[in-house]
Amino acid sequence: MIESDVETAIRAYAGTRMYSAATVERWLRLAARDAGALLQLATELRLGENQLRDLWDWAEEIGERDGLALSQVFAAPPIAAARGRALGRNDKLKAIKAALRCLRYPQLAAVEGRLAELVRTLQLPRSVRVTLPEHLEGDQLRVEIAADSVAAWRAAAAALLAAADTPACAALFALLDEAP
Amino acid sequence: MRATRDATSWEPAQRWVPDSVWIERTEENSPLARRVQARLPGALTYVTDDLTAAEPGDSFAAGKRRLVVQRHRGSFLQHCPAGTTGMVCCNYLVMNFGSNCPFDCSYCFLQEYLANNPALKVFTNVADGLAEVDRLLRAHPERTFRIGTGELADSLALDHLTDLSCELVPFFAARTNALLELKTKSDCIENLLRLDPQDRVVVSWSVNAPAIIAAEEAGTTSLEARVAAAARVQAAGYKVGFHFDPLIAHDGWEEGYRDAINVIFGRLDTRRVAWVSLGSLRMTGRLKAAIKARPQRGPLLTSELVPGPDGKDRVWRGLRVKMYRRLLEWLRVVDERMPLYICMEPAGVWEKVFGDAPADREVAHRLVAARP
Repeated sequence: MIESDVETAIRAYAGTRMYSAATVERWLRLAARDAGALLQLATELRLGENQLRDLWDWAEEIGERDGLALSQVFAAPPIAAARGRALGRNDKLKAIKAALRCLRYPQLAAVEGRLAELVRTLQLPRSVRVTLPEHLEGDQLRVEIAADSVAAWRAAAAALLAAADTPACAALFALLDEAP
Repeated sequence: MRATRDATSWEPAQRWVPDSVWIERTEENSPLARRVQARLPGALTYVTDDLTAAEPGDSFAAGKRRLVVQRHRGSFLQHCPAGTTGMVCCNYLVMNFGSNCPFDCSYCFLQEYLANNPALKVFTNVADGLAEVDRLLRAHPERTFRIGTGELADSLALDHLTDLSCELVPFFAARTNALLELKTKSDCIENLLRLDPQDRVVVSWSVNAPAIIAAEEAGTTSLEARVAAAARVQAAGYKVGFHFDPLIAHDGWEEGYRDAINVIFGRLDTRRVAWVSLGSLRMTGRLKAAIKARPQRGPLLTSELVPGPDGKDRVWRGLRVKMYRRLLEWLRVVDERMPLYICMEPAGVWEKVFGDAPADREVAHRLVAARP
């Protein structure tokens, strides 16, 4: 049961951000502690409806899987750490979303982390950028070279060639090919 | 309605009966309506001009308890909806002689597809549907078609009420350029045992790891019962098929699916297996909402599903590929010549799993030509 002042605050916040009635009703059906935790997060990050719903859905799914209340998910150490960082609103939202995603997709996040580590091991110059497929839903890396001279081009290509022969490069493609 | 029996013995499971029967007035004397009425003598029956009353509003579960007997308007034949752009397609045709299913699988796409008209329907004008198939087969004698009735309905779960198989099997047995697939999670095979398929009918079962069947496939028969039924129809001259779909990445999936493969193929003549397919769980936003609304839900919503190019969520590609490879490895140990395919996957995944990505017609050709 949500106390009337929390309900009033939720309605007021949702009103200023023009949330849909369905979302407000869903919000008000939550346990008081969870509704309050969501309000605190929404206020802290000035969340629009879609932004709130994305975080909420993930948190709800984490809670369902791990047997946690929504308020406990939002207070989990990685989320609390992201919330505590001295960042601007947009960067903080990104950090919280990334932390929540790691909790929601632990296997996927672990593989992405390992892939990023392998890319770093390649020690490519800053002019070479390696991008992983989104959600690893694809098996191709994107490799971009930025060059402002023939020499820079040659240096980047040489670094890429050298990297291709390393065990890290083989491990990178093996990991993209199949989950460990 | 779950049946758990010793796999070596066989007796039919308790058959589904509806809470009520709704018959379109103009079809009251059709053979199918008469059969249904004769087999459900005590059922609460409405004969009506307006079948909209049979639809139970927003309750999908209630819809599954009502049997509607009506004429089908429109085409019976459709291309399989799995043939989405960007996915390798097996050129499968679906023939709809009804819609919805008495079983209650948590992951079933019908929860979204039939959300607005969930009453369980069977169509009276079967002859019209078969005439449509006949025209297609005559127009393309050079092609061999795979045609199934198990897309919007379970092919056999209502056969004890409709005898639909008694019309379909002889029809396809008399044709040379089509294979009929009857796809089911039931063991309603009594009619089939009395018919001669002439090698033109594949009876296939959707199967899963036992833990998934127990948790997510309410009302269906056990894996052992499906296998026992498969062994009986195989002995009666039918080819059989199996669909490991949806594959679900759950704790212990490797052991679960390996056990399922051992249970299934330990009892069957693998030379008479027409095909085995694998397909990963696909989830849309609307299906997710439907699963959320279920009174009890298992681990489906908390799996690591990510959006794919067709807008459906699946487990991420590296894990899907791993699952496909493991199952294919175990299936090839059983019989390396069994025709295998994967469902609703892009060419890139086919290449990783099979080493090549065939054209759509090539997949179909491989499946119909694989075994004499």
